[in-house]
Amino acid sequence: MGEVIVITSGKGGVGKTTTTANLGTGLALLGKRVVMVDTDIGLRNLDVVLGLENRIVYDLVDVVEGRCRLKQALIKDKRLENLYLLPANQTRDKTAVTRQQMIDLCDQLKEDFDFVLIDCPAGIEMGFKNAIAGAEKALVVTTPEVAAVRDADRIIGLLEAAEMEPPRLIINRIRPDMVRRGDMMDIDDMLEILAIDLLGVVPEDELIVVSTNKGEPAILDKRSRAGQAYYNISRRLLGEEVPLLNLEGNEGLVAKLKKFFGLG
Amino acid sequence: MPYPTPSGDFSSGHTLLVRRNIRSGQRVYYPGNVVVMGDVNPGGEVVAGGHVIVMGALKGMVHAGAEGDESAVVIAFDLQPTQLRIAGYIARPPDKGDKPLKKPEIARVQDGVVVIERYQPGGEKRYLEPGNLIKEEDRNG
Repeated sequence: MGEVIVITSGKGGVGKTTTTANLGTGLALLGKRVVMVDTDIGLRNLDVVLGLENRIVYDLVDVVEGRCRLKQALIKDKRLENLYLLPANQTRDKTAVTRQQMIDLCDQLKEDFDFVLIDCPAGIEMGFKNAIAGAEKALVVTTPEVAAVRDADRIIGLLEAAEMEPPRLIINRIRPDMVRRGDMMDIDDMLEILAIDLLGVVPEDELIVVSTNKGEPAILDKRSRAGQAYYNISRRLLGEEVPLLNLEGNEGLVAKLKKFFGLG
Repeated sequence: MPYPTPSGDFSSGHTLLVRRNIRSGQRVYYPGNVVVMGDVNPGGEVVAGGHVIVMGALKGMVHAGAEGDESAVVIAFDLQPTQLRIAGYIARPPDKGDKPLKKPEIARVQDGVVVIERYQPGGEKRYLEPGNLIKEEDRNG
């Protein structure tokens, strides 16, 4: 029996889809059988981020409406053997699926996979309610911005009300230089408000934009700091104890020299 | 320690104990007093007919004495509300405020303005106006 984990945030644009793609890939790299489900019906993206757009024949809505079997709609990743995607439909909207259908779908998927990762749409309406319906665990993604943290707090409240087990937090796009200058919320500020366990911190990384546009998850790129952070988070999901990335570690020679001479 | 109990409404003296954080989008309403064992986060709301006590950080909106009781008070371990209302009075923190004190504070209405002071247990009792004290003692027999 696998685990069903929903990746959610409330606010849009904080990195739910990127996180889903990278954690799915990370867990598959670590040898697990993983399926990622895109529940953002009408605004599907996960297939694009994974570079699998041109392989879609059937989708989530086809499955729940019985136009195809579940196995037919699952798209196998082009890089990893044990990674699959169930894409969203692009022509319908969130009302095309009901909560009960999602619960049934998740029950079916977890028979077959170690991990079912659900990419939740932004917002707190029907799409969100469907996405969390079949999940046992939740990961909340936020960025170090007041609005994103506020929405994450709202989402945590809704997950608590849905009687899910306490969600874990992923802080995305943190910029250590800005935190050091006091221009960005730091990790402790966010943990103080949200009061949930921290699963990982992902630094801002230009390579994410490159990898997203290319359809290659950053976790496969050894140079990507964000990719390393996602790899560590994947290992933590499997219960390993992995220390947080040293966010100061990537400073260049100039910065090191400046620090040495007391200018940094 | 005796607190003044808001007078007049049917449930004065009744207190709701909330044993969780009030998160953004959540609202607690109670005609009597409200005690929160946890934080009230930005975007959360606590509305009480009587007093509000927050055993944690109060960063959301709070309305004490919501039915019009001006003797209601708000006490929090860390008082940084987005907005604080007592009866018909509305206060908000200055746009450029000092660093949060992170010590218990009390807000109440005094001479038509909302006043916020350090809360000193057992020490300062100025907020217990004589009228309220007498009422409280009467009730306790």
